[in-house]
Amino acid sequence: MRKKISLLCLTLATIGMLAACLGNSASTEEKSEKKSLTFVSNFPSDTFDPQLNYTTVRAGIAETLVKVNEQLQIEPWLSKKWKTEDDGTTWVFEIRDGITFQNGKDLNAEAVKHSLERTIKESEAMKSALKIKEMKASGQILTIITTEPLATLPSELVHPNTAIIDVDAPDIKSKPVGTGPFKVASFKPDNEMKVKKYKEYWGGEPKLDEVVLTFNDDENARTSALQSGEADIVYRPAIESLNTLKKDSSIVVDIQPSLRNQMLFYNSRQEAFKDKNVRKAFDVLLNPKDVVNTALAGQGSPATGPFLDSLDFSNDQKTKTYGPSETQKYLEKAGYILKDGKAIKNGKQLSFKLVTYPYRPELPLMSQMLQSEAKKIGVKIDIQQVENMDEYMTTKDDWGIVTYSLVTSPRGDAGYFFNALYTEGGAFNVGHFHEPVLTSIIDELNKTVDQKQRNKLARQAGEIVEKETLHSSIVHPNNFVAYRDNVKNWVTTKSEYYVITKDLDVK
Amino acid sequence: MKLISKRIIELLIFLVILSFLSFVLMKLAPGDPVKQMLRVDDVAVSEEQMNNLRTELGFDEPVYIQYGKWLKRFFQFDLGSSYMTKEPVIDELVEKFPATLRLTVASLVVMLLIAVPLGTLSALYPNKWIDYLSRSISLIGASIPSFWLGLLFIQLFSVRLQWLPSMGTGTAAHLVLPSLTLGFAMSAVYMRMIRASLLEGLKQDFVRSARARGISESRIFIFHAFRYSLTPILTILGTSLGSLLGGTVIIEVLFAYPGIGKLVIDAIMNRDYPVIQGYILWMGLFVVLINSLVDLSYKYVNPQLYVKGGDKT
Repeated sequence: MRKKISLLCLTLATIGMLAACLGNSASTEEKSEKKSLTFVSNFPSDTFDPQLNYTTVRAGIAETLVKVNEQLQIEPWLSKKWKTEDDGTTWVFEIRDGITFQNGKDLNAEAVKHSLERTIKESEAMKSALKIKEMKASGQILTIITTEPLATLPSELVHPNTAIIDVDAPDIKSKPVGTGPFKVASFKPDNEMKVKKYKEYWGGEPKLDEVVLTFNDDENARTSALQSGEADIVYRPAIESLNTLKKDSSIVVDIQPSLRNQMLFYNSRQEAFKDKNVRKAFDVLLNPKDVVNTALAGQGSPATGPFLDSLDFSNDQKTKTYGPSETQKYLEKAGYILKDGKAIKNGKQLSFKLVTYPYRPELPLMSQMLQSEAKKIGVKIDIQQVENMDEYMTTKDDWGIVTYSLVTSPRGDAGYFFNALYTEGGAFNVGHFHEPVLTSIIDELNKTVDQKQRNKLARQAGEIVEKETLHSSIVHPNNFVAYRDNVKNWVTTKSEYYVITKDLDVK
Repeated sequence: MKLISKRIIELLIFLVILSFLSFVLMKLAPGDPVKQMLRVDDVAVSEEQMNNLRTELGFDEPVYIQYGKWLKRFFQFDLGSSYMTKEPVIDELVEKFPATLRLTVASLVVMLLIAVPLGTLSALYPNKWIDYLSRSISLIGASIPSFWLGLLFIQLFSVRLQWLPSMGTGTAAHLVLPSLTLGFAMSAVYMRMIRASLLEGLKQDFVRSARARGISESRIFIFHAFRYSLTPILTILGTSLGSLLGGTVIIEVLFAYPGIGKLVIDAIMNRDYPVIQGYILWMGLFVVLINSLVDLSYKYVNPQLYVKGGDKT
């Protein structure tokens, strides 16, 4: 009896193994002559609506009126040129001639107007950013009138959610029709998208026939996809796999500094942090080079300010001395004395809560570094880790420092950063600082259209932020991409907006 | 007929209570989707603009009024639309559910193919090498975190051997690794349970009397002992089925096999209330249905649990 049942059990198990192996035979696909490329990223892809997601621009399906280059300078794209007639309320854009949507329809000002109308209808974010009151279209001329002077309108129109699509095309949410080098073949939310070349692309015929974009949030899985040959390009492979990938002669690793800045926000509602010297003390406590090496595994660069040094509006580098002894000097200036191993003022030890969050693993590490260095000079830091940092830092006042990570100049303009962090009611003005001189410079910046003048004002604002140490910029983490060596013309862009291009090729 | 309508009314009451509790808890939790909707990490937004949107969405109204509005729509079979994707919630659930269902069924099949043979052989040969082997497999399966097991499988089958795809959907092959990962992890529990239930079943009086009646050992094993052991297995299977249908977010993310799990985790992160509410109702409905089916199955598997009139003793 036992033998019979054992035999039955073993048969069942064997069937299972066979089924698993047979599954494989179903996956063999015909090798085609087409030039094809598979790109794996962690870009959000729950929806494909161009006005809610960046994928249409990233995948080369749709384009915006204006774009940014690698120096983050604004350049024409679908719009040939633009001007404002009254310092930023009335804007006139001239749409490029000879552009067609992927369904053959001509691109004119009317089509752009309808597309932007859809943008402000579907996206609350774009509605508040573009501040469009009305639009007029005539031939290739589009006039945009804003509800208030908006010097940054061209920069706002770089945003991928302003991508121009044919609003009359059916099924916009899953098969948007744009003007880019690739058109949609299929889309499965959060999973995979296939695009194929649009031969009549106005910028010239794309080199690839098709591109498969797969989305995977797990960095190790993305790395494995490259190693197994399933992927040709992988966006952000696992940081710890970079050395292994570099040793593989068939793989190229491309590392670029990102626009992101890991920073410390100070809370001016906490008594200690009202004092500029206390803020300066923590500004110099950690050496950014140590943070890069320890918390970022070498994948980053020390920050001298909120913006990358290479950008036109970033301030000149300043040499600082770092470390606990330097911190102590500032604390002494603030009236703290080291007594029995404690930094004391008015009989109380300097102690506060530092809040961090795990989504970016380097931030909790950076917090621990701060805590251990502060301990050396008698400062007690309690670390609290929260899931929803945005909510915590805006609704709670019990923290002295929070660690945060922010893309500081998303569209080639410093206006976003200063408005978000240092204007009354700005979404990230969590430190509640109010510097009248800084406010007036930001007001001036918001009214200034000329880019050179804007850069000058941004540098002035940056000087004040640095002088008063309203926050501390610690490091810029790197962006890294790994790809097979047969991939040609890949560019890791700082903005992360432009990914699949007409020039991308495979040998 | 009366029984069915009674059950439907009970189900509706249950869903309303469930929806109310989840709605209130959601609103009590700090945060809302406004910052995500306005892309504050990308667009300069003022507190005033955020408050305007909160007003527009009705977040400043009392919770009971917000719930009332939601409930009114619910009774019109409208679960609202996602704040993030603007898609109707019901469409999102229906779109993501097939992937979860495929993964659930495949994982359960893998689990049964591993656990039933090994659990049975363990019970047949207690303290022999096969029992030790099954214990070891069970221990390994219970100890290894499933995401790590998944990564190991990817390394072995995709990177080294290049037999199977490591991510995505589309073919049966895409289902092998995620279901193997889930099935292996689950089989650890079931293996030991099947062994224990079978051993207990073989000790029962009815087994002795069946032997006395001269019934063959294999018949006794399959129709008496195994049938006896099915009751606890079915109970836990119902629970597993419920949790699998609720989505297995880690596995879904790892293998880019997007289902209900990832949908709801994203919704929770973004405070996408309509999606969270829709998911809770959807899952509540399934859990009730699965439990009813498990209850019903007892009747056939172990009639002793029932007396006349269908009431459980």
